Amino acid sequence: MSSHFIKESDFAAFLAGLIKEKKVVGPVAKTSRQQEKFVFAQLERGEDLRLDYDVTILPPKKEFFPTQQDLVRFDGPRREGCVTPEEKVLFGVHFYDVKALDMTDLLFQERNDDRNYTARREAATVVISNIQKVSPRAFWSSIGAEIQPQGHDAWLSRIAGGYVLEPRTPKGAALLRFGKFATATPAQIAAARQANDAVAAQCPERLQGTSESNARKVRAAFGQEELWTKLAEDCFSCGSCNTVCPTCYCFDVQDWWNVDQKSGARTRYWDSCLTEDFAKISLGAGATENFRESRGERFRHRFMRKAAYLNEKLGGPACVGCGRCSAACTADIADPTAVINNIPEA
Amino acid sequence: MMAKPKVAFFDFTCCEGCQIEFTNYGDAAFLELLKHVDVVEFREAMSEKTKDPIDIAFIEGSFSREADRPRLEDIRKRAKIVIAYGQCATTGGVNALKNHTKDYKQFVYQKDAAMPHLDSQKAVGVDQAIKVDYYAWGCPVNKYEVLQIVSHLLHGKEPVIPNYPVCVECKRRETICRYDVGDYCLGQTARAGCGAPCPADGIPCEACRGFVDQPNQDALVKVLSKRAGMPWGWAEGKSRMFTANQRGDAA
Ligand code: SF4
Ligand code: SF4
Ligand code: SF4
Ligand code: SF4
Ligand code: SF4
Repeated sequence: MSSHFIKESDFAAFLAGLIKEKKVVGPVAKTSRQQEKFVFAQLERGEDLRLDYDVTILPPKKEFFPTQQDLVRFDGPRREGCVTPEEKVLFGVHFYDVKALDMTDLLFQERNDDRNYTARREAATVVISNIQKVSPRAFWSSIGAEIQPQGHDAWLSRIAGGYVLEPRTPKGAALLRFGKFATATPAQIAAARQANDAVAAQCPERLQGTSESNARKVRAAFGQEELWTKLAEDCFSCGSCNTVCPTCYCFDVQDWWNVDQKSGARTRYWDSCLTEDFAKISLGAGATENFRESRGERFRHRFMRKAAYLNEKLGGPACVGCGRCSAACTADIADPTAVINNIPEA
Repeated sequence: MMAKPKVAFFDFTCCEGCQIEFTNYGDAAFLELLKHVDVVEFREAMSEKTKDPIDIAFIEGSFSREADRPRLEDIRKRAKIVIAYGQCATTGGVNALKNHTKDYKQFVYQKDAAMPHLDSQKAVGVDQAIKVDYYAWGCPVNKYEVLQIVSHLLHGKEPVIPNYPVCVECKRRETICRYDVGDYCLGQTARAGCGAPCPADGIPCEACRGFVDQPNQDALVKVLSKRAGMPWGWAEGKSRMFTANQRGDAA
């Protein structure tokens, strides 16, 4: 599909028109004590969109797989499914998060089509924006670089004087009518490419080795119990590294009744394999067993999942290098580059 | 579903703040709840006392006087289900702050310090005297969690009481971490279930629901000192307010 250019001065009107007609979700700022962080939220006004964000606290996955989502609502014997497709434009997603969406797209569809996820996903238009600012723990340029982002409808890049929009699907092309777009010149297209390429060199962290060599050595280290115990020494089992991860997809399901004790919902919640009770299972007759009882075992499991176990299915590691886990871990032990780089070659 | 169970509240050493929480649902919800449970004893809102069997006993307050043991044992005998209600009852709560001191009586009661009715022992959770079936954590309890515990018991479902840290709920709501703004927080070791309101309001979690089952206390001291810049001695004692009996150095 051809590329289009919109002038900086026309961009606000484009956004305003889009917001007027559609639900638009994009990165907005959140502050505490003058510290600015970013979250994906519905845009009320175009001015709130912050395409200069570095990374969001939670990944855009939450738009399709909310942190808390009703699966079934009931009222006495009446039951009602809660598949709620909602048309929306997810605007300004970084490419690494789209790579992660490609993974959750696959994982929520294999074997059983999870309509609570896929219906929302299909109803969305996803627009990538080039990374204008790199987050302090990012390493997306050195992990799974062989894998390109798939699940997006358009790619927006900021260049001098405006933006280049490259639609990838008819849904993406349908956005053009909201703004004063002109066909992009070869120079503008080259500038857009350059804007995306140049930023890769700014990733502050680096994962060494290849996807294959890392998968091999992480797997080979499985039996080194002291290594994992040592790595997890300061682990709180707080699950923050899972909760912020764009490729984590575990959930727990619980039933709740309203105060009338008749109506209620079956709800799913994001779960975390680092937390103590994640692997606690019933053995029947009131007995339980935890098959990953120690911190070291749980910590190891996350690295196996991110660097090795899912690689065949996904075509590469289940980590896109967003650096969210590294930043979220208050003990600062969750950083995949620090952990994987220090595991010796098998 | 369980037929309208008989519910009773009992208080021991506490401020009764948790019982007050039970009356804070707002009229509509409270009256709706009363359609499903039969409150037979509740000092904050009614006066009658019974000796009959009870289905669910909520015990508030810590066990801090040997003289209270027979009363606790009597409640246990009468009740099918015993719920330790609030942080005082689950762990001793703030009352347990006295456990590692010797001179608290002089400070608190001054000239009356020697009066016999003010005598007490170590403040501990009521499970140190009797068997407890479920724990409603928090100072005060989270009234919505209590409602769900009751609801799950009515439906014969095991109540959902988290054993993961507050960070889980804090991250789910995308709160900016206190450590990212140069503050401290105890949320990594505190038991969730409250929905992490404190960091969301811009203040640290003080672990008012106590610790998770296996808190990493050494790592907490390290992080409080390294990342929040707390002097080591202060970092070591920081979590004591609501966890005195759960800490490694419990008296
Ligand atoms: S590695 Fe860090 S973020 Fe993950 S559970 Fe452990 S302490 Fe929490
Ligand atoms: S493991 Fe960490 S760096 Fe990798 S995708 Fe998950 S949060 Fe991002
Ligand atoms: S737990 Fe806190 S609010 Fe509840 S009775 Fe004890 S001191 Fe009062
Ligand atoms: S603010 Fe506290 S509870 Fe929230 S993530 Fe940070 S340490 Fe955890
Ligand atoms: S965030 Fe911490 S201090 Fe606040 S209510 Fe929850 S457990 Fe208590």
